[in-house]
Amino acid sequence: MAIGVRARPSAGRGIRGERRAEMLTGLAFVFIPLFLYVFLYFGAMVYAGYISLWRWGLRGPRAFLGTQNFENVLSDPIFWKAVSNTAYYVAIWVPLTMALGLFLAVIVNQGIRGQTFFRAAFYFPTLASSAAITVVWIFLLQPEGLFNAARGVVGLNPIFQALGYTDNFNWLGSSRTAMNAIILLNAWTTSGTVMLFYLTFLQQIGRDIYEAASVDGAGNWQTFRHITFPLLRPAHFFVATLLVIGGFKLFDQAIIAGGKGGEPANSLTTIVLFIYRSAITDSEFGYAAAIGVVLFVIVFTLTLVQRRLFGEAPSW
Amino acid sequence: MTVARDPSAELLTAERPPAAAVAAGQGRRSIRRTVAYALLIGYSLLMLIPFVWQLITSFKTEPDALRLTVIPQPFTLEGWKTGFLTLDPSIPQLFLNSVIVAGLVTMTNLVLASTAGYAFARLRFPLREVLFLAVLGTLIIPDQLRFVPVYLIERQLGLITRSPVNYIGVVLIIAVEAQQLFLMRQYFLSLPRDLEEAAKIDGAGHVTTFLRIMLPLAGPALAAVSILAFQGAWNGFFWPLLILQSQDHWTLPLGLFSFRSEFRTDWPALMSVTVAAIVPILLMYVFFQKYFVQSVASTGVKG
Repeated sequence: MAIGVRARPSAGRGIRGERRAEMLTGLAFVFIPLFLYVFLYFGAMVYAGYISLWRWGLRGPRAFLGTQNFENVLSDPIFWKAVSNTAYYVAIWVPLTMALGLFLAVIVNQGIRGQTFFRAAFYFPTLASSAAITVVWIFLLQPEGLFNAARGVVGLNPIFQALGYTDNFNWLGSSRTAMNAIILLNAWTTSGTVMLFYLTFLQQIGRDIYEAASVDGAGNWQTFRHITFPLLRPAHFFVATLLVIGGFKLFDQAIIAGGKGGEPANSLTTIVLFIYRSAITDSEFGYAAAIGVVLFVIVFTLTLVQRRLFGEAPSW
Repeated sequence: MTVARDPSAELLTAERPPAAAVAAGQGRRSIRRTVAYALLIGYSLLMLIPFVWQLITSFKTEPDALRLTVIPQPFTLEGWKTGFLTLDPSIPQLFLNSVIVAGLVTMTNLVLASTAGYAFARLRFPLREVLFLAVLGTLIIPDQLRFVPVYLIERQLGLITRSPVNYIGVVLIIAVEAQQLFLMRQYFLSLPRDLEEAAKIDGAGHVTTFLRIMLPLAGPALAAVSILAFQGAWNGFFWPLLILQSQDHWTLPLGLFSFRSEFRTDWPALMSVTVAAIVPILLMYVFFQKYFVQSVASTGVKG
């Protein structure tokens, strides 16, 4: 009895002390990441909204502008050029990359031998930095580059001539083709990652449903069209969301191929490149922040629309 | 580059089915297979040719670089000599800067993502779920919205400078990314609780349990975090371009960006820099392929 009375409070303190220690360790462990996120993400987002209401240079007096920056952004022809360039890029690049990635995934998933090798080869271009791969791309596509030489050797030049492209066409130097060249580059490098995502989903589809289809006499295309493709709906949503968000960030390839001016003739000026130019080249931080806010609203809305189109996101 | 190229060539011969086996297959199925293999091999070549081409070109002379020949004639190290001696900053300097930035970023991610990931997975503390939602919330805040304020904040902190302190400006931004933290948390959640219970009974504190018992078990997740963080930082272009002020601190991608306009026609030299930029990641991929594929598939976010 006496022992019980003496033991209980000490045990209680032990548990409370133990809880406290756990709590303090937990808070200490998460402190630095959260501290950084508060400043560099959440604080930054609020700060961006604040800056966007001001004329904000590195030096000189600041002036409160209210919504003036936004009005200027929305009436700036270069902004709309940047929006249409970026929208064009997303509209072509996303479906193209999805189709390529899905195509590769379906083929690799055929119980084919050497799956590991092909998976590795297709993932390969993803490894290189955007800067390195873009410089290589510029080299391949320049007028005297491998691409123009190869199409001559293979005998495709008559077709290209019929389409109005000379034998030494400068693909990245013409405002008609520069963005398309960037689209191809990024479809090529991203298709490997997309393939990996689709493979993960494909491997979750049960074998029996395919057996049932083949008993019913469904051909390859029919099986793909009516079974595989619809069953991959969550994958389509997931991949499309990632790519749309990624597509609106287009910057590295555009500035490396087209410089700060998005040459030729602003055909490679993307929204992010335009923000970069306004902030770093022109020191108009308020204006740049306002473009960022507009872009955020666009992407956020698109994600919501996408959710509507493809249904709810998968629960994970 | 040759070192990296050989293993893949071996893989191809080792894993491609012998022609006899394909021919022995039955009718339609075997035709389908053959078509599939032809497509796959064709596309793999399309994937690999640009990389092989840049390696070959780095050993060519300037005029030869524009010819469609596979073997450099004459074979020359001029491109590499320009890369090592003439370019400013030179390849070794850029390489060192990339190692510094990517090394620091890998370390901060390992330490911060594993501790915070463990805390979110296993330790009870107030507001844990809300704070974790905040971590995930960072994923929907796009870089293009925060780059103006982040740049101004770092300016006010004195991190935008021409001194080596400038490195910290880059590292801070990617010191612990939500995807790494998430990956570590998921991994710790998947580990059985028995070991921690045993450690607790032995009187070990939380920090000891984490360091001595849980961390050694987290090898695969730590490997994935290292790879993602290193690759992301090594290849990173946007933040270094924004933050790094002095060309003495440039990383390889920034060097490439600048040389591409300066040395427009010296393709062998430019290609030598691209090879230097790609090889380390390639070697990592050859040796740790399993972790690459796993980490991409599990986080759903590419660095």
